[in-house]
Amino acid sequence: MKNGISILLSRIATPTRVGPRDFIVVAVLAAVAFAVPYFAGTYQQEVGFRILQLGALAAAWNIAAGYTGLVSLGSAAFFGIGVYTMAIASNAGLPIALCVLLAAVMAGLFALIVSPALFRLRGLYFTVGTLALAEAMRIFVVNSPWFGGQAGIFLTARAPKAYDLYWIALLIAVFVVVCVLLLLRSRWSYRMQAVRDDEDVASQLGVRTYRTKLWAFGLSGALIAIVGSIQALNQGIVQPNGGFGMSWTIDIVSVAIIGGMGTKVGPWVGAVFIVLLGEFLIQFPEIHLAVVGVVLVLVIRFMPNGIWGTLTLALQKNRNFS
Amino acid sequence: MTAVLQLESITKSYGGVRALDSLSLHVAPGEVLGVIGPNGAGKSTLIGVIGGALTPNSGTVTFDGRDISKLSSADRARLGIGRTYQIPRPFTRMTVADNVRLAATNSGHHISQRELEPFVAGILERLGLTPFAEEVAGKLPLLRRKRLELARALALKPRVLLLDEIGAGLVRSETEELIAIIQSLRTEVESMVLIEHVMDVISQCCDRTAVLDFGKMVTVDETPKVLADPVVASLYLGSVAESADTVVVDEGKRAAIRASLTSLVSAPNTAPGTPLLTVDDVWVRYGGLNALKGVSLSVNPGECIALLGANGAGKTTMARSLAGAVPLTSGTISFAGKSIAGLRPDEVTALGIAQCMEGRKIFGTLSIEENLIAGGLDARKHVKAERLEAVYSIFPILKQRRKNSGTALSGGQQQMLAIGRALMSAPTLLVFDEISLGLSPIAVDEVYEALGAIRDSGVSMIVVEQSVDRALGLADRAMVLGQGEITLEGKPAELLADARLLSSYLG
Repeated sequence: MKNGISILLSRIATPTRVGPRDFIVVAVLAAVAFAVPYFAGTYQQEVGFRILQLGALAAAWNIAAGYTGLVSLGSAAFFGIGVYTMAIASNAGLPIALCVLLAAVMAGLFALIVSPALFRLRGLYFTVGTLALAEAMRIFVVNSPWFGGQAGIFLTARAPKAYDLYWIALLIAVFVVVCVLLLLRSRWSYRMQAVRDDEDVASQLGVRTYRTKLWAFGLSGALIAIVGSIQALNQGIVQPNGGFGMSWTIDIVSVAIIGGMGTKVGPWVGAVFIVLLGEFLIQFPEIHLAVVGVVLVLVIRFMPNGIWGTLTLALQKNRNFS
Repeated sequence: MTAVLQLESITKSYGGVRALDSLSLHVAPGEVLGVIGPNGAGKSTLIGVIGGALTPNSGTVTFDGRDISKLSSADRARLGIGRTYQIPRPFTRMTVADNVRLAATNSGHHISQRELEPFVAGILERLGLTPFAEEVAGKLPLLRRKRLELARALALKPRVLLLDEIGAGLVRSETEELIAIIQSLRTEVESMVLIEHVMDVISQCCDRTAVLDFGKMVTVDETPKVLADPVVASLYLGSVAESADTVVVDEGKRAAIRASLTSLVSAPNTAPGTPLLTVDDVWVRYGGLNALKGVSLSVNPGECIALLGANGAGKTTMARSLAGAVPLTSGTISFAGKSIAGLRPDEVTALGIAQCMEGRKIFGTLSIEENLIAGGLDARKHVKAERLEAVYSIFPILKQRRKNSGTALSGGQQQMLAIGRALMSAPTLLVFDEISLGLSPIAVDEVYEALGAIRDSGVSMIVVEQSVDRALGLADRAMVLGQGEITLEGKPAELLADARLLSSYLG
């Protein structure tokens, strides 16, 4: 049965091949971005941080949703795991780098634990299942005695400077991009697409669908948790409604869809668009939300491949896909 | 000699229906086993159970002496069981080569990156897909999709191949190519299981043939013996079997059907001597492709037209443009003096053109009765009830099972339901698209008997068909479409005598 999600997924084009050129482009862009704090002020660094953060989140989400068809609305669960892991582990005195790694591991474990139940659901049901899961996680954290309840946990670690945060975010963004590119170069790329397009046929061709989905979902979640762990450093305090809040999920989905689901560049284009739009309308937060909503609806209706997907398709018209 | 594949008392039920009923079967090494049987006999279920897509309620599947009943379909594929689907299911957004690459890199045999490309190229070459390697699989026409199904299954380096109705929907020349491919595979695949309705494929490829009915084995023996078996003839082959007598026509039943049909068809309100339907210089373009290139034809009141042609010739596009489901690029279609270009499908139906679409398109969530009612929603309540009774008297099986889901019927019965549904709007013109597709020979007999009665009722008909003999036996006039143009037109008898028919048909 066709639902909105399967229609959206059915419009994603096959990702173009990844070659050495992609890595060179990433290296050049990263070098340029690295230099930003030397000639830009704190404000620009904060905007840059936000773009890198949202882009990395959407690119990570895209691994599961865009390439594998696991359209998750449970990103907040992974993000929150990252946030809380950083808070608890760094307060326990672990080095920051280890805390980030731990966040990724915890998120991967979480994916492993919930996958038997979640992967029984397909399509829209999976999506709804992940939404419920994220909400359950938030309520669990609010009510359990270990996480400071609604008040949350203060980080004892020294708050990093704006340029430090920016550079950490840049490092993580590059890491996410390289993960995505390597994944798209590997045989997993075909497996993921096959699972997205027709799980039964994929299985009949020898693709271990459960394993494929678990890798995609786990990797996506781990990367989201890494970004989340940095957010904890940024805030200095972690709270259930901030860490496990629905707003993260919604931001990620909006950025990915507006930029272009299932494309390499789309999430980054979407992040630039959403963050700059937010800065432009900074005086009018209510209008900002409404504008994002309207843009999202218009993109889904008229540019189902997102800004980037539509652009690339227009540039290579003959790449007709059904 | 031990069997490669052994099925031991397999039972598989869907709800209350037993699709397979303690079925046992073995496939010997080097053997090609055919499986035939009426629609709904459990043949596709059998392939699903062997391939691992379906879990039987009881029984075991043994492959090469090992019990594989608990393995997933992926693991079975890795052990060397490859299957194709009845309706090809390529990954439409991947290229043809990527489709094959996927199977090659997930088979049980490790393949290094260096070996991969020559291996994939070799398989594409064998199935004649090399020129289309970098094309997106969704763009392939049916025959090439079927080849791709085979190519993907072969890329698994399978020991056993399961082919589900690979001949369905192909014209004769295409079937012959397919037979040649299957025969050439015998050297590299240990065994094959073929499900087929195309008897040429069974008789030319299969060493042994099993006949299923209601999920039970009727008989399994060497193919010539099975095809000569009178039980098989009466159960499955129908008029195709040489041993069967000419079909006995029940005159009483015919008269009853004719009486029922009077309430189900409308007389055209056209001036005498003018055609009911006129198609004038119609072009239809999809993307950059011209599906119809200036087709003109006319249908007179009470006339039955056969529309023939190879796959991709534009037959279904023609049928769909008559339904208002495809926008015309240029040209006009007028029906009973009115232009129908630009009308919505429901408006076209209201004018009196009913469609019996390719693939039957039964609503699975509706009961049989609701499916029928959906065909004539505009009619008043008592008219609807009257038409419903008339349809039931033509197809009594539909009345017996009227509360059941529309898709719980066998293929032949679903086709009857689709015909009944088309009649519910009391049309003046009926368009039948690929009505015999995927049906067993005996079900085709039944469906064509009904079509004959409908033709005799005086309604106009357009019959789009792959099966030339059947359509020509029914039609008053026939047309052959080739590459979107009408290449040949005439009386059935003339066409049968004309050698050009075959050549244009074979493309």
